[in-house]
Amino acid sequence: MPPDVLAVRGAAKTYAVGRALLGAGGTLQALRGIDLVVRKGETLGLVGESGCGKSTLARLILGIEAPTAGTVTLAGRPVGAYGRLERAKLVQPVFQDPYSSLNPRMRIARIVAAPLEVRGVGSASWRRERVRAIMDAVGLPGHFIGVYPSQLSGGQRQRVAIARALVGEPEILVCDEPTSALDVSVQSQILNLLARLKRELGLTLILISHNLAVVHHLADHVAVMYLGRIVEHGPTEAIFEGPRHPYTAALLASVLSPRPGARLPEIRVGAEFPSPLAPPPGCAFHPRCPRAGDGCTSIDPEETRDGSSGFRCHYPLPRGGT
Amino acid sequence: MTAPPLLEVRGLRVEIPLPGGTTRPVRRVDFSVAAGETLAIVGESGCGKSLTSLAIMGLLPRAARLTAEAIALGGRSLLGLSEAAWRRLRGERIAMIFQDPMTALDPCYRIGDQMTEVLRQHRPVSAEAARRRALELLGRVGISSPEQRLTQFPHQLSGGLRQRVMIAMALLCEPELIIADEPTTALDVTIQAQILHLLAEIQRDTGIGLILISHDLGVVAGVAHRIAVMYGGEIVEIGERDAILGKPLHPYTEGLMRSIPVPGETRRGETLGFIPGTVSRQAGELTRCGFIDRCPYANARSAAGAVPLSPAPDGRLVRCVLPLDGSGRDAGAWTRLVEGV
Repeated sequence: MPPDVLAVRGAAKTYAVGRALLGAGGTLQALRGIDLVVRKGETLGLVGESGCGKSTLARLILGIEAPTAGTVTLAGRPVGAYGRLERAKLVQPVFQDPYSSLNPRMRIARIVAAPLEVRGVGSASWRRERVRAIMDAVGLPGHFIGVYPSQLSGGQRQRVAIARALVGEPEILVCDEPTSALDVSVQSQILNLLARLKRELGLTLILISHNLAVVHHLADHVAVMYLGRIVEHGPTEAIFEGPRHPYTAALLASVLSPRPGARLPEIRVGAEFPSPLAPPPGCAFHPRCPRAGDGCTSIDPEETRDGSSGFRCHYPLPRGGT
Repeated sequence: MTAPPLLEVRGLRVEIPLPGGTTRPVRRVDFSVAAGETLAIVGESGCGKSLTSLAIMGLLPRAARLTAEAIALGGRSLLGLSEAAWRRLRGERIAMIFQDPMTALDPCYRIGDQMTEVLRQHRPVSAEAARRRALELLGRVGISSPEQRLTQFPHQLSGGLRQRVMIAMALLCEPELIIADEPTTALDVTIQAQILHLLAEIQRDTGIGLILISHDLGVVAGVAHRIAVMYGGEIVEIGERDAILGKPLHPYTEGLMRSIPVPGETRRGETLGFIPGTVSRQAGELTRCGFIDRCPYANARSAAGAVPLSPAPDGRLVRCVLPLDGSGRDAGAWTRLVEGV
């Protein structure tokens, strides 16, 4: 089995909000005990609605922030133990909006070479060669090295962002909604690119998306987050074909099909997303859950393991699909 | 057709004069919407779908020049209305729901004040009657404890609730037509389905006409009766929803359908279709097919002149020189594109 590149154990992240200093504020629990492992060459899809903590988790993995409790281990060492440049060698981000994530005053060659330059890797001519090679790998024509981001389309800019992330050969790429800002026909080209890079370079990918079709298309494993917890995780096929947690089932039901005869899905979960300032007692999903019963309002469900999958629910859906 | 359609748009053009020459973001757009009908306008950024809706609302930016043979609502022309007449019309007969309710609502006013103000702008009603109407509509759009919501500010509501408030506000004066521009794009997926249900239900119950503008074919598939696909400022295909989604006849529509991963249909990691190239900026009048540079089927006739909308055997209109019974297309063209051959 390939080695673990990323291991997150009991990671929690809280933020003091409001007038915390005066004792009148509250504590926002963005992450409430996250466990996950990602092996080399694997793609993990993180899904969940806004406020579920998926972007906070990405920030912990990128080392932008430190967990309040628990550990995040990259290639065997805690993220916090690496220096900034060492960390940049290991893990690189690709953000949602390629319009704001690229410096408009830099030419593409400098943008893509930046991760090598700040680390002082290789000679200038070696770096130039490397930039050319990676631009070729992500499907950017060579003459783009001299142009500015404003001269490129959205899809081309996202390719630049991916080239910059890959140029230093990181262990892990963290993609936060990499296609959400792009048009449909361009989105598919970026998905094709990521799928190819995964195949050819054995890339390890953390893919954060609210779009379940995108996650289904790329991820080997899926972790479903709700209010700072992973409520269900497992191999992609298992999750999509037989979700056990009612929240996962609701998310899957909400995928809109573009096929003729498609009807709007009936979503049987309540509309109100609870405040992360005051998570509901017991299972945090119980106020919206159509299956909630005895115990759900008071007892926080432990994880039930089932092979390589796991879920946190007192009344799970039957095994083997609905 | 016996009764005139609720909304008729004919020969709509929007031009924006710029120092470097005039751009034409909307070129000759024709469509109509019947009462009780949902027309979806689909297309990618820059296709002209939002400017089309702003033109119907009389909200085009000052720099834009609008020309049209006809824009008529309920048989009455909307061309050349004064700003005062537009203000009476908007909210009263046409209402709009925007993508982001946080920017469409005023952050400094309570929900109740914003709702009653809209109503009292248009109707001579007492404050108390306006409040009752606001309460009734908040209940109608599925908001629990509406009394409490009336006293709250927009930031105190979730995105889904804010969009429900926007829908309630759009309904205040019982308009004949609602234009919803990407109404669920900013919302979470479980909320999205609920808001779309609400729009469909209100439309069924009230018989209003609805124009739904979206880039998302999944959203459109669940709600629309008819679909208009826009590309480069033109409608390239317009017709019944299931006909278009089942067998798109314009190569652009076909490319869009091929680009979307669908769980359960597309295999994981499978190479998806895409549309090569980028939207070309053709500033002048079109002298050939607007999609020619990106079309895998383009032939000599595509370049021979501007392409008109022509009826296909099933009644839909398609702007393409290929045979409209679906023949004459080399199905391998898209695959070869993907494989880079």
